Amino acid sequence: MMIEALIAVALVGALVTFVAPNRIAGKLAFVISLVPVAISLWMFAVFDGSGNALLDGTLAFESQMEWIQLGDYAITWFVGIDGISLPLVVLTTILVSLAIMSSWTPIDMRESQFYGLVLFIEANLIGVFVALDFFLWFIFWEAVLIPMYLLIGIWGGPRRKYAAIKFFVYTNVASLVMFGSFIALVFALGDGVSSFALPEITAAMLNGGPESFAGIGSGTLTSLVFVAMFLGFAVKVPVVPFHTWLPDAHVEAPTPASVLLAGVLLKMGTYALLRFNFTMFPDQVSQFVVPIAAIAVISVIYGAMLALAQTDLKRIVAYSSVSSMGYVILGLVAYTQFGIGGATFQMVSHGLISGLMFMAVGVIYNATHTRMVTDMSGMADKMPIAVGVLIAGAFGYMGLPLMSGFAAEYFIFFGAFGSEASTYMPLFTGLAMFGIVIVAGYLLFAMQRTLFGPFRLETDYEIRRAPLHDIAPMFVLLGLIIALGVAPELIFEMITDAVDPIVDLAEFGGDA
Amino acid sequence: MVGAFEFAPAIALLPLAAFVVALVFGNGMPKKGAYAGILATAGSLLLSLWMLATVAGGEVYNEPLYDWAIGDEITFHFGILIDPLSALMLVIVSLVALLVHIFSLGYMNAEGETGLPRYYAELGLFTFSMLAFVLADNLLMAFMFFELVGLCSYLLIGFWFRTRSAPSAAKKAFLVTRFGDYFFLIGVVAIGATFGTLTFAGDASFVNEAQSAIDAGETFHGFGAETWVTILGLLVLGGVIGKSAQFPLHTWLPDAMEGPTTVSALIHAATMVAAGVYLVARMFGFYALSPTALAIIAFVGGFTALFAATMGVVKDDIKQVLAYSTISQYGYMMLGLGVGGYVAGVFHLMNHAFFKALLFLGAGAVIILMHHEQDMWKMGGLKDKAPVTYYTFLAGALALAGIVPFSGFWSKDEILYDAIILGLEEPIFLVAYSMGLLAVFFTGFYTFRMVFLTFHGKPRSEAARDPHPVGMNVKIPLIVLGVLALLAGVVNLAPVGKIAGMDIMFLEYWLDGQYTEGMTGLTYSEYSDTAGLDTTYIAGSQTITLLIAGALALGLALAGAIVAHVLYNVPEPVPHTENLGAAREVLRSNYYQDEVQVWIAQGLAMPTARMADRFDQSVIDGVVNGVSSVSLFGSGGMKRLQTGVVTNYAALIVLGFIALVVGLGVYGGWFV
Repeated sequence: MMIEALIAVALVGALVTFVAPNRIAGKLAFVISLVPVAISLWMFAVFDGSGNALLDGTLAFESQMEWIQLGDYAITWFVGIDGISLPLVVLTTILVSLAIMSSWTPIDMRESQFYGLVLFIEANLIGVFVALDFFLWFIFWEAVLIPMYLLIGIWGGPRRKYAAIKFFVYTNVASLVMFGSFIALVFALGDGVSSFALPEITAAMLNGGPESFAGIGSGTLTSLVFVAMFLGFAVKVPVVPFHTWLPDAHVEAPTPASVLLAGVLLKMGTYALLRFNFTMFPDQVSQFVVPIAAIAVISVIYGAMLALAQTDLKRIVAYSSVSSMGYVILGLVAYTQFGIGGATFQMVSHGLISGLMFMAVGVIYNATHTRMVTDMSGMADKMPIAVGVLIAGAFGYMGLPLMSGFAAEYFIFFGAFGSEASTYMPLFTGLAMFGIVIVAGYLLFAMQRTLFGPFRLETDYEIRRAPLHDIAPMFVLLGLIIALGVAPELIFEMITDAVDPIVDLAEFGGDA
Repeated sequence: MVGAFEFAPAIALLPLAAFVVALVFGNGMPKKGAYAGILATAGSLLLSLWMLATVAGGEVYNEPLYDWAIGDEITFHFGILIDPLSALMLVIVSLVALLVHIFSLGYMNAEGETGLPRYYAELGLFTFSMLAFVLADNLLMAFMFFELVGLCSYLLIGFWFRTRSAPSAAKKAFLVTRFGDYFFLIGVVAIGATFGTLTFAGDASFVNEAQSAIDAGETFHGFGAETWVTILGLLVLGGVIGKSAQFPLHTWLPDAMEGPTTVSALIHAATMVAAGVYLVARMFGFYALSPTALAIIAFVGGFTALFAATMGVVKDDIKQVLAYSTISQYGYMMLGLGVGGYVAGVFHLMNHAFFKALLFLGAGAVIILMHHEQDMWKMGGLKDKAPVTYYTFLAGALALAGIVPFSGFWSKDEILYDAIILGLEEPIFLVAYSMGLLAVFFTGFYTFRMVFLTFHGKPRSEAARDPHPVGMNVKIPLIVLGVLALLAGVVNLAPVGKIAGMDIMFLEYWLDGQYTEGMTGLTYSEYSDTAGLDTTYIAGSQTITLLIAGALALGLALAGAIVAHVLYNVPEPVPHTENLGAAREVLRSNYYQDEVQVWIAQGLAMPTARMADRFDQSVIDGVVNGVSSVSLFGSGGMKRLQTGVVTNYAALIVLGFIALVVGLGVYGGWFV
């Protein structure tokens, strides 16, 4: 029942915060959000699951009860945690708490609603990572969108309406495609399944897959569903060319929303890809290795090139997320222990690092009211501690060893280079790795122009040093980034334990 | 004596502790954290000497310590390898680090710098990373700390971040070396994926695996094993070329002189730049498997040695001269390693670390004397006013120019000797040799041009007439290094030993593992056997070859020095560079190398990025917005149904209900 407690605390907390006075809403939400942090850390400490949740693994904190019987299909409240979901749950609870604290300075209107929505998002994000019934999972998946839409649309920048609607419609249409194709798949599986429980569907997929359905042959149908679901999740990740909602959403979103958007929401896409496409369809993965790897490489390089062209700090970080998510796709398609394990590790690592970067940019924005590279220089002189953390975060983004980003990227590169999924994998890996040069280019260039040199600021604001509650969350993130960089086994052990059954599904990945 | 090695991690961890102390408490401490750094590096030096003594006592150490990431087929770990090579390097690094810390008291503290805790913290972090790099027992760990020293270099070059030039130079240094490290990382990944191990030494080392793969005639990714080893070796070499500032990735090093001179001495002369060459030496067994890779190393080295030396000739800033000389000297080491002269390369690495650190610290002392003036044309006549600085600097200069009996002579001579005996067998290497030999002349010239302009003649500025005094914390490091620049050569007086038949080539015996028991796979003779390079002597006599090679090198060095003496050792020297005509512009512009790289960044990468951005905004996002406006248009039509008139809605509901019933009826077969 710990999972239920986790979600319930966030939901009830959201309601309480919603009706609390604006004055105390921020502090209250923070205190409430510490409860899920404590619960998830306790879960992390006592975690005793093994194997993969969809592949007959032993679930931790499992809980299943009947909910709705829909014709021949049972919809159940089915939740549980394995080595892939646990790190993401912990990431979510921690990032939400830190995002709340980092909102104290910038959010100055309708606070109770703001913090209520943030806690509401938390409940649903946790739900996405723990749900093991398709319907239940889909409800959480969709329910994340609404509060995020409101966060961007109400507390966002000047073009917030456009960005919010674009975000909502784009990802929602993608969800529809995914939902429709998956339902078709479940029906096509026929008598093999009697519920929407994901382990059951996975087993049915691996034991022969669907029959022909609505006049489409079995093989074609499976491939169609695979592609449709890939596209549906690709928007969420996002991969090129479905990424254009992301920079708009980030630029307009308030800092804490950006933190959650980049930190956790993007991982919903890669998490779903891993759970659905890369677990249920190993044969289709092997058919589509080359196009998927190509998309990954394009996302990495093209995303990084776009980041290089930006002069808005937030856009830079936003585009660099496209690049970082490309690595995740590359790791997944490698279908090796280090490939998929590294991809999962990168989800956590990128969550921490991009969260840190958005917070740091936010702190500078709070002080200067601009994010344009061209508007400032020499900020290091005025805000030494915030800038110091920003530099550390930027090097984390560049994949500096002993920080989590390096571990993640190295695992992915190693797993992808040694992959036997395609003879071109070493080539794809080598090309994608050039991202580490471009990322250094745009981050160092932006840092040189904004942080160093003689002090200059185009906007008319007195620079004050950032208050402690702006800085503290960044230090927590930095500490976690370094901890995972020095000791990746903290989570990599449970990740590989849950990833190995996936890799064992197919021969084509190889040993790396 | 296994006990000694249990303290090995402390060699690196002590400076890490100094980093934390200086960062957190530095502001409240006397000397702003300098003492923490001095204590830590002194501790590291003592421990390193203990390691050296233990290795000399016959032990080597190769142990994994900590599993970083565990996989089914491969586990990535941190571990320590202490053999003659790394023990020697540990002593070099910790000694220079200690001396630079002490020197910093006079150079940084006494000058009233702000940000000193940051300075000492970064210095500590650097020393930690560098020592950990040296200790690494596997290629991944080496890569990780290779990157971290790059970070420290970035931070320290940009120490004076309020200027425009320092942050720019820092960025360039990191970016150019990152470009090299890109290849290095592919190499690490590929070696790990190919051989399933990344350890340097022991039975399961990737060197052994590569050897057996070649013996077994395996193929990888469609390449024969030897070709694949060559490719892997060249990928790793990318990182070496970047870090050791070899052509064409050398351009960052002269810019790196924007950092404090102490930093130049420690990082950009004696240690970090040496990391690349050290890495080649560390995995020399692997390179020895590939004659092609060795030849490329030799040519890169020979060319860089000459190329950089010519640019050093026309520089006016004392630190710039030293920067180009550093590039050139690392070229020699690469040349030495590339022609199979493992001992010669490592020997020169050691000597150079001492004499170049000395020259940079000497330049630092000159800069203090000159009230922060670095232009040699504003100096002159410092000889009598600062004798300690002068004589120690002179010792360094003699070593750099390669004048007997100073240390640089012995190692450079050995490199050129190894190159010529290989070249006589395989004439292609004579090209690399002659580039190295020609560079000796330029080295002698620019070195003494620098000495004469700085210390001789009449003072050419107010500052030179009334120099600022320097304290003991400046003089002591100079004296220690000055003695080493004079005497360090005695560890391997190869020509003397070979001609006189004396067993005095101690460094060679040391690196050959003759003092250690059971060291396999890491010895000079094994490397030579693997490489299997044949050599030929002039007139079939080793002695004659030694004498000719030595005489040529020494003669050219002296010739260069004499030309400098004639032109510049006069009371009022004038620039003679005008006489070079068009060549002068080319040299002053550094062969337009920087322009090429700036063009790659600003003329190629940026426009491509902007083009991609325009494409993204107009085409990709255009399609997205286009789709949405189509659906908006469509929904505009639908909107008209929403009239707000209740009767219309009622009519729609009724019609809809009828349609539904009819539809269901048809489907359910009611009308059949």
